[in-house]
Amino acid sequence: MHQEKKITREDTWKADDLRKHIRGGGREEDHGRRREEYERQHRGGDSLERRPRDPEREARRERDKQREKESTQERKNREKDRHLDRRKERSNDRIGDREEREKERKREKDKVVDGSKYQDGGRESSDKIHHRGEKENRDREKERAQESEKDKDRTKDRERYKQRDREKGAEERDRERRREEREKRREDEQSIERKDRDRRQESDRRDGHKDREHLKESEYHDKRKDRERRERHSDRERTVQKEDKEYREHRRKEKEERERRHRETAPPDVAESRRRDGDSREVARRDHKSSEDRHRADGEGAERDRRRERRRREEVDPKREITERSKDKRSHQDPKEKRENVETKEVLGQSESVWRSSQKELSDTEEPVEKQDPQTESQPDHDGDAQDYEEDFEDYEEDFEDGSESGGEEEEKQTHSQEEEREEREEREELNPQRREQIEAIQRAMKEENERVGSVQTRLSPEEEEERPSKTGGSETLPQQGKFIDFVAAKHREVNKKVACQQKKRSAELLRLIDLDYSITFSLLDLPPVNEYDMYIKSFGTTNTKQAYVQCNEDNTDRGIQTEELENSEKWTQHPAEWNAVCGGPTLSQEDSQSTTKMNVDSQRLATFLRSASQVVAVLLEEDRAERQSLKKLRSQADTLQSFSDGCLQLNTRLPFLHGRPISLVHFSQVQTQTVLSVHSPIQKPSAVRLDSKTIICIWNIWEPSRPQKILVYESEVRSCCFSPGKATLVFAGTSVGSVVLWDLREHAGDHHTLRIGDIDWTLRQPTFSTDAVLAASGHMSSVSSVEVVPAAVSQGGGPELPLLGSDEESSGLSFQLASLDENGVLNLWVVLELPKTNEAGLRPGGKVKLLHSSTLLTSERKSARDAIKTSPPQALLVKFLPSDPSHFFIGTNMGVVNHGTSHGLQAPPKFYRPKMVGARPVDVTSIDFSPFEETFFLVGCGDGSVRLHTVASEQPVLEWTGNTAGDPVVSVQWAQTRAAVFCVLDATSNLHIWDLLETDFEPVVTEKTDADRVTAMAAFGDSSKQNTFSGIALARQSGKIEMQYFSKRFTVPDSADLGKLQSLKEEVFLD
Amino acid sequence: MEGSHTAGNTYLIRPNYQHKFKPAVVKECIRDILKEQLSGVDYDPEEVPLTSRNLADRIKDKLKKMGFDRYKLVVQVVIGEQRGEGVKMAARCFWDADTDNCAQDIFMNDSLFCVAAAFGSYYY
Repeated sequence: MHQEKKITREDTWKADDLRKHIRGGGREEDHGRRREEYERQHRGGDSLERRPRDPEREARRERDKQREKESTQERKNREKDRHLDRRKERSNDRIGDREEREKERKREKDKVVDGSKYQDGGRESSDKIHHRGEKENRDREKERAQESEKDKDRTKDRERYKQRDREKGAEERDRERRREEREKRREDEQSIERKDRDRRQESDRRDGHKDREHLKESEYHDKRKDRERRERHSDRERTVQKEDKEYREHRRKEKEERERRHRETAPPDVAESRRRDGDSREVARRDHKSSEDRHRADGEGAERDRRRERRRREEVDPKREITERSKDKRSHQDPKEKRENVETKEVLGQSESVWRSSQKELSDTEEPVEKQDPQTESQPDHDGDAQDYEEDFEDYEEDFEDGSESGGEEEEKQTHSQEEEREEREEREELNPQRREQIEAIQRAMKEENERVGSVQTRLSPEEEEERPSKTGGSETLPQQGKFIDFVAAKHREVNKKVACQQKKRSAELLRLIDLDYSITFSLLDLPPVNEYDMYIKSFGTTNTKQAYVQCNEDNTDRGIQTEELENSEKWTQHPAEWNAVCGGPTLSQEDSQSTTKMNVDSQRLATFLRSASQVVAVLLEEDRAERQSLKKLRSQADTLQSFSDGCLQLNTRLPFLHGRPISLVHFSQVQTQTVLSVHSPIQKPSAVRLDSKTIICIWNIWEPSRPQKILVYESEVRSCCFSPGKATLVFAGTSVGSVVLWDLREHAGDHHTLRIGDIDWTLRQPTFSTDAVLAASGHMSSVSSVEVVPAAVSQGGGPELPLLGSDEESSGLSFQLASLDENGVLNLWVVLELPKTNEAGLRPGGKVKLLHSSTLLTSERKSARDAIKTSPPQALLVKFLPSDPSHFFIGTNMGVVNHGTSHGLQAPPKFYRPKMVGARPVDVTSIDFSPFEETFFLVGCGDGSVRLHTVASEQPVLEWTGNTAGDPVVSVQWAQTRAAVFCVLDATSNLHIWDLLETDFEPVVTEKTDADRVTAMAAFGDSSKQNTFSGIALARQSGKIEMQYFSKRFTVPDSADLGKLQSLKEEVFLD
Repeated sequence: MEGSHTAGNTYLIRPNYQHKFKPAVVKECIRDILKEQLSGVDYDPEEVPLTSRNLADRIKDKLKKMGFDRYKLVVQVVIGEQRGEGVKMAARCFWDADTDNCAQDIFMNDSLFCVAAAFGSYYY
């Protein structure tokens, strides 16, 4: 029959049907009705008086009564109860379904296993019967303990089943119980969780810590269940006797426990008590949910019955189903009955269990499988780790949920492998939306109820809780909460677990790939503490404070130095000076201009200084050179010639243009005794140089004998020549053509024509001024025989000559008179003028000095004219002026007498100076020379070879020497410049006689003859005032040589007796 | 379960380069926000908890927009009063240094200092 039933179920309960079933409105109505019924029943359970006989009407009536009787509080209480009941009922319904389905599954399995067992049933050993029996007993005992009255419904049902199906009834029941047991445990868990959740929903009203404890409990349950399972397992294998004893003991314990439980109503206490020992805990836990279990069992029973019946009669009559159901429910109504039924059931169960156990005993080995089957497939190893166990449990739960939710459809498949189960899960998930609808609807209702209940409970609880335990013999309030099953939470949990599992696996895989480490410590902030000073400055630093800088270490101070800017000024300088400025600039200060003028003055003086100094230096250099080289040679040569001289110096006349010219005249400057001029006559035969027809005058410095200082050129023959007084800056010459010319030696060389002869440039100076053209009328009509400078210092009487001559050259230099005498005896006096400008006729360009005609004197007297007829016409040959009185002039004539005349004033006696021999005879006076020491004495040389010494005052000569020259005419007579008593006489045969009056006054002391080269001119030199040793005579040779013969010491050293001798001679004349 | 089996080889254990957590960029972002929100603000013990929370949210939101794909972001903001005391803050992270990183920036004015640190942890 069971098989039949199963088959029909398989046939009838398709997925569609199930859905319909779940959705079906009629069913819902049924449910609702049923709920109402339940309420009433339970209310009845609470108080027998109120329990209605006729469900609906009676309940209403009763309620009315109650309202009358009881207070509003009670009513609320009732309502609350109702809610609770309703909730219980709902959960029971579901659980019932689940249980049923599970049972079916079990049955199927059993069928497979037991199919064979039935045949060998008789062979079962008594042990196993006992074993089973014991188990049954235990189960029943538990049931009794937990469910007490309401189990009786089940037993009734079972009895009914038994009646229907006697063979399998006991077995079924047995299985059912076992299953129920397990379910209970599992559902305990679930229910606790659900409760928790429910409570959380109502958390406003309830204490949180209870929830927490419940949670803990649920955890404990998981583990404990395992333990229990193991215990049970082992228990079953024990001997019957033992188990009997144990059973008894167990019973006793359980009774005790029950009593204790009644005492310990509060959940925390329960939890504590549970911990005392395993059994008691287990029981307590069960007991804790006893009410729930009871209800569930109640529902279970009802559901089961209802379903079975429905399954059987579904197709036949739906209405009947309802009536049956109500009947079933009614059967719950009497607890006392139920209790009795339980006892009877126990008896029956034992008998049944014998049969069943015998069945099971047949396949002793299969027992674990059987057990495992409902529990879990993966539970063979009892000692497996807790985790596995839990996971298995999850699976198991899922199974249950599957069973309960998808209904009969899955029952068939329960026997299949786990893989199929997974598919089923998927299918189930497809159903989710529908399920959710359901669940939501249920939840909504639950919430409403909960709220209501919660509100009522809080108010009623003290009264109610006192009443209830006494009435029901069990705690009502607490178990009520556990009845709610929250599917959402379960679902969540399931999903969470799944996800957790996935993540775990994922993490396990990933952790192999990833390297986690404590990398560097990141310093997020490092704020150093601010020191006090900074803090102070920060808060007060800006107010009324001032920071001062103090430097302690002096060395470290920095100093900046700003230099003043440089002052610049532009200046120029010019040399030689121009317009009296040597230097200047745009910003000249007064000081500068002053210095400029100073400089100007200085420069002028410097120029003069340099001019003179350069000459000195040049002379010194020349001297030096001459000393070393040529001088010695010349001297040695001269030594051989001249007995009277210490040595001689030869001027270098071997110049190309002087070659072959005879020297007509040698003349020394009066003041500059070192300066000498030589007149070189023109030569007839042509030479290389084109100066043949010209006279050349060379100006020499005896200290610079290598070359002449200046070279003067004139077109015709020069008969006489002289220097200017004082400084030898001017040269005057009287020419054969009757003109007087002068040369200014100061003229620059660049103004004159230069002639290059060989490698040397020679500057040939033309005369600066000539009287030829300008003064022709007042000039000389015949050749000028002599030119003489009139001494400037016109002293009165015998004034000092020497200061006059040696006077300031600057002033007197250029203000003097010049006298020129021609052969006709015409004496012209000229004034020498220096002009600032040079544009006069007769003056060469650039020349500044000219002659002005002053006066003309005719010296040839008329009275002597008759004398002249007798003899040759008188000729004036030379003129001399008395140095002390320039108005007196002395003219040598060709008559052998010297005429004396004055330029102005009275005629002074004597008129003429004549020789001792009376009678005039034609003898030329060739030379007159005044003594440099005693001006009144003068020597006269004549053409007959006689030499006379005259004084100015007497007509007769002091002394007269006639035969010394052997009739040769005297060429020149010269006093020695350093000794007053010594004079030289040169005759035409080149004999040189030197007289020393101090030694002898009748013959010369030395007569020197020169035969090889005839001496043509002679001049004495030396400084009388300075008495230097360089005094001597210059001798001009015919060949053109000029020799400077230095007197030996005896002719040069002054002797004080010289002047005495002269004085004695004068006195002799006057005495005569 | 099946999903993880098939996806076994497709783990992205390194972020795409352009989605990588770049501390420099993040730091700039933090700096901007801190500057914008805190400039001229004085420390007020009443306000600061709210301010710091707001800042953290703002930073987080901004960072989320920057496209650090698959990154879990943690933003921590600490605001303290400047009273001259020394403060030290450090963070230590147990993570994968290749992918994860943190950026931090400090804002200070006369009355307060603010440290904002953002940690990015790659979600494999």
